[in-house]
Order: sequence, then structure tokens, then C-alpha cells
Amino acid sequence: MTEEVKETINRLIGRFPKKESALLPVLTLLQKRKGYISENDLKDISGILDVPEARIFSTASFYTMLRLKPAGKYHIQVCTNVVCALLGSDAIFDYLSKKLNIHEGEITPDGLFSIVAVECLASCGNAPAMQINMEYHENLDTGKVDEIIDSIKRREVGG
Amino acid sequence: MISLTINEKEVTLDKPVTVLEAAKQAGIKIPTLCHHDLLKPWSGCRLCVVEVERMPRLQTACTLMAADGMVIKTESEAISNVRRGILEFLLINHPLDCPYCDKAGECELQDLVNKYGPTVGRYKEEKRKVPESHKDQIIARNTERCVMCTRCVRMCNDVQGASAISIIGRGNHSRMEPFSSESFDCEYCGNCLTVCPVGAILSRLYIHSFRPWQVDKEVGTICSYCGVGCSLVVQVRDDSIKRVIPKLGFGLNKGLLCSRGRFGYEYVNSPDRLKTPLVRKNGKLEESTWSEALSIIADKLTEIKGTSGGSAIAGIASPRCSNEDNYVLQKFMRVTCGSNNIDSLSRTGFAAAQKYFEDLLGQGITANIIDGIKNSEVVLVIGGDPTAVNPILGLSIREAARRGASIIVLGHAKGLEKFKTVQVVPPLFKEAEVLEALLVELFRAKGVRAELPFIDKEMRELSEKAAEKMDLPGFDELMKALLNSASTSIVLGMDLIQRTNGHRSLFGVAGITYLLEARLYLLSERPNEQGLIDAGCVPDMLPGGRPMNIPDFKSKFEAAWNGPIPDDDGLTLFEIIEGIKNRNIKALYVMGENPVFNLPGGPFLKDIFGNLDLLVVQDIFLTETAEIADVVLPALGWAEKSGTYTNLERRIQLQKQAVKTSRGMEDWRILSEISGRMGQKMGYLETDDIMREMAKVSPLYADLTYDEIGKGDCLWPYHGKPLRGEMNEVPPVVDAEKDYKADFYLAPEKLLFHSGTLSRKSPALMKICPEPTLKMSAASAGKLGLKEGDRVQFSTTAGSSEAPVSIDESIKDNRVFLSNNFQGSGVMDLLSFSIDEVTKAFGIEGCEVEIKKHGIKA
Ligand code: SF4
Ligand code: SF4
Ligand code: SF4
Ligand code: FES
Ligand code: FES
Repeated sequence: MTEEVKETINRLIGRFPKKESALLPVLTLLQKRKGYISENDLKDISGILDVPEARIFSTASFYTMLRLKPAGKYHIQVCTNVVCALLGSDAIFDYLSKKLNIHEGEITPDGLFSIVAVECLASCGNAPAMQINMEYHENLDTGKVDEIIDSIKRREVGG
Repeated sequence: MISLTINEKEVTLDKPVTVLEAAKQAGIKIPTLCHHDLLKPWSGCRLCVVEVERMPRLQTACTLMAADGMVIKTESEAISNVRRGILEFLLINHPLDCPYCDKAGECELQDLVNKYGPTVGRYKEEKRKVPESHKDQIIARNTERCVMCTRCVRMCNDVQGASAISIIGRGNHSRMEPFSSESFDCEYCGNCLTVCPVGAILSRLYIHSFRPWQVDKEVGTICSYCGVGCSLVVQVRDDSIKRVIPKLGFGLNKGLLCSRGRFGYEYVNSPDRLKTPLVRKNGKLEESTWSEALSIIADKLTEIKGTSGGSAIAGIASPRCSNEDNYVLQKFMRVTCGSNNIDSLSRTGFAAAQKYFEDLLGQGITANIIDGIKNSEVVLVIGGDPTAVNPILGLSIREAARRGASIIVLGHAKGLEKFKTVQVVPPLFKEAEVLEALLVELFRAKGVRAELPFIDKEMRELSEKAAEKMDLPGFDELMKALLNSASTSIVLGMDLIQRTNGHRSLFGVAGITYLLEARLYLLSERPNEQGLIDAGCVPDMLPGGRPMNIPDFKSKFEAAWNGPIPDDDGLTLFEIIEGIKNRNIKALYVMGENPVFNLPGGPFLKDIFGNLDLLVVQDIFLTETAEIADVVLPALGWAEKSGTYTNLERRIQLQKQAVKTSRGMEDWRILSEISGRMGQKMGYLETDDIMREMAKVSPLYADLTYDEIGKGDCLWPYHGKPLRGEMNEVPPVVDAEKDYKADFYLAPEKLLFHSGTLSRKSPALMKICPEPTLKMSAASAGKLGLKEGDRVQFSTTAGSSEAPVSIDESIKDNRVFLSNNFQGSGVMDLLSFSIDEVTKAFGIEGCEVEIKKHGIKA
């Protein structure tokens, strides 16, 4: 953990009456910086916040939006909850999985993509939906999926 | 006064409690799952729901406070339906492998489903699958059986304070897991196992070996490891120990145990146990018979007594043996052998400190209830880690911290790292100076207490001498906390006593105790250090702490014992050793102790013990000392014999026989056999006879009986009369001002998982902690270019050894620590020492050590 990160953490801590309250903002911060939270991060945070490692692990593993494993540069979350499921999200997920040649939770060898199935993204009105990093993609079909993925690939290879 | 109605029964309460507790008091059982008496209410499982009149919904009895006029029903159709529903949900993911599960028969889930149903589940989907984890050597974890009550997690967090485990994940995927993932990296107290209602976490020491209903016998007894003396239950089948479990709500530990007490019992059945007497013939120890061995000893002792007098004989008593054993040993030495040379290795710490404090402040000054620690405002911890030496006492300190007490650590204490408020690290080996400075400051602020003029005078002189205040980080904070505290506990470890001028630190502690009217606790590594003192296994005191030099006492004992007691004061441990070196002592009788390993300078001791005409060792293992003995006698171990033990707070408790064995004889019986052969019949048939005699002759145990002791809470001063302080002069301080300039100093470390002789024969403890490590601060490791796990060679003037390095954040100076628990690599062999003129304990400070990475030539 760099000094700069530590400083930011200390600033976050300053906002709360109790150190422990800064836990979620700190976890979010670390994930934003490198895409996931490592075991060493958990240990470091434990030291800084004076919260036992096990409790930090418990919190971090509770939130699916916090990742404890590395993810691809483009982390794809496919909604498979009721409405999306009714409108074919399983097929979308399988299509993506085949297209990228990875299973749920895996990363493509080039490190570009990872996929997971998630619960409702609150976009039921435009189901099926998926989220790539912070961006939403709605009313999906396989053609649209191709378009999205290919454009990312083009951007990455070209750029 | 609160009155309420539960199931049409009037219940009156004297203090506010939950409905669950109120029902319990009325003899009504409300089913629970997430609730446990050792834990705070949580209301997670909802099984304890009850109907309360005028409340719209069912209420959880474990959290609802009983109020005046409440009308409650604990069973009804509606309630049963809810309970059945909850259980059906719990069973959705439950593997229902009861026929194979070790918990069956004592499983709370099984019992609840048996009572409330459902008989069939309606859930048709696939169950969650998580493979059983056997990665940990001690705890088997089957999360499929887990009912998510979080009892284990709350135990580990809120009571044990280890915070090693948590529930991870969410919903269907959640499971209990140690942060260290598959195997546990924790204090292995096993208290999580106690509270788990199902078979999700189990001790691997007994799984698949018996069923709870196959236990023939349950014996309530106490632990054999340390001076806390926890109550526990030994479960026996076919005369073998199947399991050791705590007894909820009972004894001073109230259902908690530590790793040694819970998992350390297997040594009793170690194949290395001594089975027959051994006699040295042609230089080799050979198997012999009891009659031959006993006759050899009796003849030789008689001969030595005749030619050189009784004072050529010495005895070493055992803090592992009972009061009865030790009482008989000192009587054997004093009357049968005619020698007051009786001491023990407690002289090196506990007994030395105890005597010093009692002389100064009066008998019983260290007799304080462990449970009282948690109500202190300040706990001052000096010279050791209570959570390692006396783990259950350590838990009281952690609890005090949770209740808002200031925990002040003088030196370092790893187990209190997360609980301490202030840590003051004295300059190397300058604890005495810091304590004196502290005392002077307190004296200046508080003034004369005018109860013990002698201490007041001494403090005044000290404060006149002392010029300026001590400049040490944390010192002022420490002062402030002590001055503002209305209730202080001082917990003292042996590291402080084992100093060249140990008594100087002890004076500091005594003064602080006196000024603050603090409660003083002496950590005690062995189960009966206090008991052996009370039994008279100190050279200058008869049973009951009665000084030898008061003729009245002596003649009373002579009359009771039917024989004369020698007039001299007897020799203390190191005087005995000196006597052996000078060939004045010709016979040494060692009962349940291993001086060659447990004292510094082992090789030297081994050497001079060769001077002896007779060395007798009675023990349960062939220890380093037994190996060089002339006669070795197999004794009975814990759970194989009965007797009383006195813990560090001076609670007398019964250790009871649980299994029968033909392996050895009780220590007292061996002694009484030899005594008979030497013409002094003792006439004891069973331990009760000894207790009866002790109750008659020892002013401390007046009229005490096993029945009374067995009821528990048999506390100092029983029916006895304590004596007032004796000392009226503080012996001069012989201080060789020394600078400690070396890079590293070696010091002994006390381990949570070990005790030595017993623990190294306990497979479970050896699995948890298989080898010694050299502990050092991160700074020291950095200086040497070492990282965790690197093997190093290290040497002192006394010897050398090797071990892997372990980095310990709690160490703040340039000392490195090694334990004294493992065969062939104990720290004691590497230490040089001096003797404190006052306490007669050894001092082991400033032992320079050279450390090299393994394989690298300097
Ligand atoms: S054995 Fe003790 S320290 Fe280890 S997880 Fe269980 S409760 Fe916590
Ligand atoms: S492991 Fe046992 S105690 Fe822990 S949550 Fe599961 S059922 Fe409860
Ligand atoms: S604290 Fe001491 S007496 Fe209690 S279980 Fe542990 S070793 Fe035994
Ligand atoms: S169900 Fe997919 S967004 Fe709500
Ligand atoms: S026992 Fe009351 S809710 Fe679990």
C-alpha cells in the first residue's frame, strides 16, 4: 500500500466519529484503484482501522460489488434475476461466455474481460441488462452483445 | 420487584432479566438456537419466540426484557408452527447426515427438529454443497451442517477476543471461515467448539471415535496445566479418556478453556509413559520391581542419614503434584530423612515473589479472585503475557478492556496487543528503575498511607533520593491512569522476578500495590505452585506458612508428626545445588520436576548431579533429569489419581481420578512406602487420610474436608488465620550498574500452546505448535537481514542452538525470545544466571547472543 493511499485512507477516517465506520469507503477506494481488494489489502486495512482481519473479510465478502479476486479491465456483470431471466438473460450469459471463451468468474488471457452473473441491476424496465464497469447496457440480444464487445476490442487494440 | 405470568405460572424477579432468563428461573425451557449463556443475546434464529399478551406479534424471548404484569405463553399451536417453519428452512441446506455426524445425540438442531418437526421437507431443489474441511489439524469444519447462528464467531470475538473467524459471503453462500482460510491460525481455545449447536465444527481429537451416549463416566475435575485451575469434565469410556469438555457455568472459568486444557490431555496415554521402576545397574537404567527400587532408596537414604546426617539429603517438590503429595514429601524430608532442605522450582519465580510480598504486606496479599480483574478500572501488566501463561486469567483482562478499563503493559504482552491502552517499554533490563520512579511519583502524589510504617519510611527515602522524573514515552499517561483509578489490578509475570536484582522490582510493585490498595495477581505456570508453599515445601516454613523459627509452631508439628524436625532453616533451591556441587548434599529426591531442563545451566547441573550418591526421580516420563537418576519411579498422572490443588488465587479444588491404570503409584504412596521401610510409618491408606491430617495440623486448612472443597468456591483463608507481615528492613540493593550495549539479548518466552514436560507429549499441542522459534522484533530481523521462517544459528557463552525466525510485532526492544518447551532446544541451557540475594531466584538478564543465518559462516 503506497503512502498516498494511506493518506487518503486517513482522510476518509477523519470523516467519521469511529475509525471502523470508514471501512466501506476504504474498501471501495481500494477496489477503484486496482479493480479488486487483495488479501494483503485486508490485512493492511485491519491494521489501519483497528478492526480484526476476519471482520473485514466478512464485510468485504458480503458485498458482491466488492471483489476479492482480480477482474478483467472490463468487468461484465450480467443480470440473471427474474425479469432479465424471463427475457433471456441465460442465453445472453452463455453467448458471452462462449464468445470470450471464459466461465463465470474467469478473466480472458489478455486480461481484458471477466464475467459474472449478478442479481437485479434495477434496470428491469429495459431487461435483459448488463453492466460493464460503471456503464449500463440494456435491451440486450446477441447482436448487441457482439457490437459492444467488438467495439471494446477495437478500441483496445487500436488504442 | 417485577412480577409476570409465564404459562399461567406467577414469576417474581429481583432484578430485570430477559423473558428467556425469567422462564428459566421458573423452570420453563424455551427453545433457543442462536442464544448461548456465555454470549450476549443476538436474536438471529427466532426459535425462542413467545406470545405476549397485548403485543401484536410473537416476540423473541432471548432479547425481550421481562416487564411487570406481562402475560406470556411459551408454547402454543401458533408458536409451534413458526418454530417448525424456521426449522424447515434451516434444513433446506442441511445435509441430514446425522448417522455419520459426531454431534448426533448432543445436537441442538436434532433435538429441536425431534420436538417441533417437520418430519418431511418440502424443498425439492439441490442442496448447497461445501466439502468438509480437514485441512486443520485440530478442528474439522463441515459448513454444510452450519445453521448460521454465529455463536462461534461471537465467542471468538466477544469472549475469547481472538477474532479469528467470521461468517463470509451472503445468503445461500455464507459460511463460517477462519480468516486464515482452510486451517485455523488462532489461539486454539476451542471455545467456538463449545458453543456450536451442531456438528459444523468438531474437535479432531475425538471425531469418529465414540458417540456421546457411549460415555461410561463423566468426571468433573480440574485442568493439569497452569495455576488458574480451570474446571472441566473428563469423559471416559473403557477406562480411557475420550474427550475433555468444559462444564458450563461452573468453576472459575465458567465453561471457557484454553488450548492446553482442552486439547492437551493426550499425554496421559503417551506411549512414552514410564511403566515400571528403573534402577541404574552398571551405569545403565534397567527395569526393576517396586520392592527392589524402594528398598534401594530406603537403604541408601538411611545410610546417608546415618553417616552424614539428614542435612546431606535434599528434596525438590513439584508444582504439578497435589497438596497431599507435596505435604507428604516435606514431612518425609523433615521427619523421616531429618532435613529441612526442601524447596521447589517455584523458587525461581512464584514462591520467591510470593514470600517477598507476604513478608512485606502480610499473608494472603496475592489471594485475589481472578474474576475481579474484569471490574478493575486499571490493569497493570508487568513482566509477562498473562494470555499465554494463564490464558483464562488473560481473558479477564481482555474483558476488563471491553468494559472500558485502561490496560497498561509495562514491557510487552503479545496477547494484549489489541487490548492495551498504554504500553511503556522500559530501557533494557531497567524495569526496576521504572517501577521505582513510578512508585516515587505515586508516593509524592498520594502521600503516606500510614498503615505499614516500614514501607512508608522506605518510600520516603526513595523519593528523597530520586531527583528527576522518568522521561519515557507513555510514562505520564501511565501515572495519570494509576492516580485516577479507584480499582487497580496488578498482574505480575515471572520475567520481572528473574533478574539479578529482582527484589528491587518487587519492592516497586509492593509499594504501588500498597499505595493504591491494588489487587495483586502472580502469574503461575504450574497448577500447584501456591499449594506446595501452603503444604510446607519451602525450607523455612511449615505447612500453613508457619515460620520454622517460631518454636511453638515447630513443637506442635513435631507432636503431630511423631518425630523431631531439624532446627536449621534448610536450604533453598540454589543453595541445595551449591551443596551438591560442594558434595555436602549426597542424596537428592526429585518429585515430579525436571531441574536439568527447567533451570538455566542444564549441562552444569547434569555434571554436578554426578556427585550425588543417590538421585531419585519420580515422574510420569523419563525426563532429562530422570535419565541421569539412580532410581526412577513411575508416578500416576492427571486423571489417574485424586488430590487437591490450590490455584494462584488460592482456591482449593479437587482433581479427581477418572481412569484406572497400573502404570505407576501415587506420589504420596511411593513416599509413604519408603518412609515405612525407613522405620517411620505414615499410615495413609487413601488421599483422604492425608487431607484429614493436613486439616488437623495446618492452621490454614483447619477442619477442611473434601466434601467442602468439592462444593467449589473454597477460598483463602478457608477457616485459617493468616499472619501479618514480618519483614522490617528492605535488603540493600547490590546493583552492578551495567550498560547493555550488545546487539541482541536472549530471553525466555512463555508459549500459549506449551508447558514443557506434559505438552511435548501431547500430540494435539505438538501439531498446533511443533517446533521452537526465535522471536524478534521486525527491526531486529531487518538489522540481521532476516525474514519470517529463515533458519538461524545462535549462540551464547553457555551454548548454541538453531531455530526458524518468527517476527513478533509486540516486541519493542532488541531482545530475542526462545521458549523452554521442546526437547533438546530449551532456552534455559543457553542462559547464564546469577542469584538474587533476597528472593533466591535466578536472574537472567543481559545474556548476549550472536545470531547468524543458517549455513553462513561469519
Ligand atoms: S479455537 Fe478459539 S481462537 Fe480459534 S477460532 Fe475458535 S474461538 Fe477463535
Ligand atoms: S459453525 Fe456452528 S456455531 Fe458457528 S455459525 Fe455455524 S452452527 Fe453456529
Ligand atoms: S487457563 Fe490454565 S487451568 Fe485453565 S484450561 Fe488453560 S492451562 Fe488449564
Ligand atoms: S431483473 Fe435484471 S435488472 Fe432487474
Ligand atoms: S435464541 Fe432468541 S432468536 Fe435465537
